[in-house]
Amino acid sequence: MADAKPRLKVPKEAKKGEVIELKTLIAHVMETGLRKDASGKIVPRKIINKFTCEFNGKPVFSADLEPAVAANPYLQFNAKVEESGTFKFTWVDDDGTVTATEEKITVA
Amino acid sequence: MQTMTRRQALVLGTGALVTLTVADVSPLLATPAEADAEIAKFTGGKAMDQGKISIDLPEIAENGNTVPLSIIVDSPMTADNYVSDILVVADGNPRPGIATFHLTPLSGKATAATRIRLQTTENIIVVAKTSDGKFFTDRKQVKVTIGGCGG
Amino acid sequence: METRKRNTAIMFAAAALIAIVGGVTLFPMHAPAQAKKQAPLALDGAASVTPWKRYAGWPTRDESMFNTLAKLASPPAPKEARKVPDGITGDAANGEKLVADRSRGGSCLACHVMGPAGKADLPGNVGPDLSEIGNAGRDDEWLFNYVNDARVYNPETVMPPWGTHHLFNDQEIMDIVAFLKTLKAPAKFRSVLDDPMKRPAPVETRDNLDDLQNPGMWTIDRAKDLWKAKGPTGQSCASCHASEAALKTWAAGMPKWEPRLNKVLGVEEFVYRHAKATTGESWLMQSDENTALAVYLRFLANGQPIKVDITSPGAKQAYERGKALSGRKLGQLNFACTDCHDKSKAGLKWIRGQWLGEQRGQYDHFPTWRTSLQTVWDIRKRFQWCQVNIRADELPPDAKEYGDLELYLASANAGLKMNVPGIRH
Repeated sequence: MADAKPRLKVPKEAKKGEVIELKTLIAHVMETGLRKDASGKIVPRKIINKFTCEFNGKPVFSADLEPAVAANPYLQFNAKVEESGTFKFTWVDDDGTVTATEEKITVA
Repeated sequence: MQTMTRRQALVLGTGALVTLTVADVSPLLATPAEADAEIAKFTGGKAMDQGKISIDLPEIAENGNTVPLSIIVDSPMTADNYVSDILVVADGNPRPGIATFHLTPLSGKATAATRIRLQTTENIIVVAKTSDGKFFTDRKQVKVTIGGCGG
Repeated sequence: METRKRNTAIMFAAAALIAIVGGVTLFPMHAPAQAKKQAPLALDGAASVTPWKRYAGWPTRDESMFNTLAKLASPPAPKEARKVPDGITGDAANGEKLVADRSRGGSCLACHVMGPAGKADLPGNVGPDLSEIGNAGRDDEWLFNYVNDARVYNPETVMPPWGTHHLFNDQEIMDIVAFLKTLKAPAKFRSVLDDPMKRPAPVETRDNLDDLQNPGMWTIDRAKDLWKAKGPTGQSCASCHASEAALKTWAAGMPKWEPRLNKVLGVEEFVYRHAKATTGESWLMQSDENTALAVYLRFLANGQPIKVDITSPGAKQAYERGKALSGRKLGQLNFACTDCHDKSKAGLKWIRGQWLGEQRGQYDHFPTWRTSLQTVWDIRKRFQWCQVNIRADELPPDAKEYGDLELYLASANAGLKMNVPGIRH
């Protein structure tokens, strides 16, 4: 069974105005809804369909995902940081479950 | 002689369910026309320019289950000139849609990277929309390899 | 159900403890100091699911009529070529379909470029390019027999005996010959990638130790929890192994000849037998727990050069057996390990779009995450899968023949630094 724990690589510090790279991943099977199980029945679709990233409450980057995104969806993007604060990440499952986590960064 | 416990049977049995081979997928594939329809929805039918987009994909994917994709769009990403959305579609998958990325000036750079599933050798088409309402596009082909004897 | 299983496990653990009290120290930290302590092992019973049943989702062919690593059964090679009556009458169009048909044992395109067959889509180059064989002056009888059983012309051939091993019937071979006779021009590749002589060998560039690249790394978190959890005897791994750092070189010396069992033990079998004899846990080979711990124990030895013993008496014989087994022709396709993984044969060539590596470099990254299957495989599962796909019956994971083969393979990788978990397709 996959753990739903997200994994992140976010710098802990940056200079003011620096554009940093963020790497994110969440363990998720990303069931396409096209696969058949051992008895020939379609396994229903169940994916992470949305990812969002905010910094100090303002949107930075988000993604709408389809079943063609690989299992354990990995998303890498950039953010320009002008002040210290908190990144908030959310992942939304087809079934409505939202997984959220935060990372702080010091910007000098 | 230890007989197989129910738990061990479950471990063996779920081997089939857990394997997410692309080969198990429905053989019906979307067409390039369906990919174009997705693009038209995104652009509202507006014309697209070539250029500004750099797509990083392997020439050959050893298997279609997890193919790394990286996109960079040339843009200053300032408040009055930034990439707001990036559409990614494929023309040989069961369905054309892959992902849509939404960016803001806080993104700093117009980049997005992920890993995608490819059913067969096909084209990945990227369309970028800028804050002033323009569209840019580029595409790249990935050859999904054919295994030897099934190993 | 849980209680019954637990009681069974406790009874089994107690029985195992009684069985091994004869010569083995149970809890090293309580025993008087010895020059070389033997790790406690459960010496009875199998280390894997018994009776062995092939994994669901794997090909279900019964290949009992052909060689396995444990038994010889294949029909003998014919002593001479078959006489072919006056010319071949065959359907070249059907022949063109057959040579590209992956369901017929990999197909000819796995090893040969063949002109327009299969749209020249990623053919292999284990065997010669046959695109102009129709002009090579070969007669029908020669072509028929080469496909039927190439051993009558070349006893060292890698070619499967398509006729003798019932992969194609006579009419199908004649159809193939009819197609071969039409091949008189070089293949036209749609892309340089399709040409196996120009295709670049794949290079693994992913960082296998990055947990955002390799889900195989997540099993280490699981292993660390298992390490601390108390088993039915009230002991955990940590009870005796307070410092995992002390195990820094252990896995680099595996697999190892085990005189108490008269076989070579790999890490996975060791984990089962050692846990059973100490914590009472029953972590059968290829279970999630066993695989997680196998990854972890080898991960602890990352960076250490692989160095296995092949000189002490039992180990030397096991090594010789393993070497011989790596040359044994197996299954309906009649391939030996060396046929694909020795550069004097098909090693460093392409089968269809798949690169064949040499033995050296094939062991240092096991257990490995497999992206095509979204799971971690140990080396024994890789052996089993190879066998099933060359149409040979696999053995249970704890088969002594796999131990011999693993020892031979590990010694071919001597000096390479452990790098686990790997990430591969």
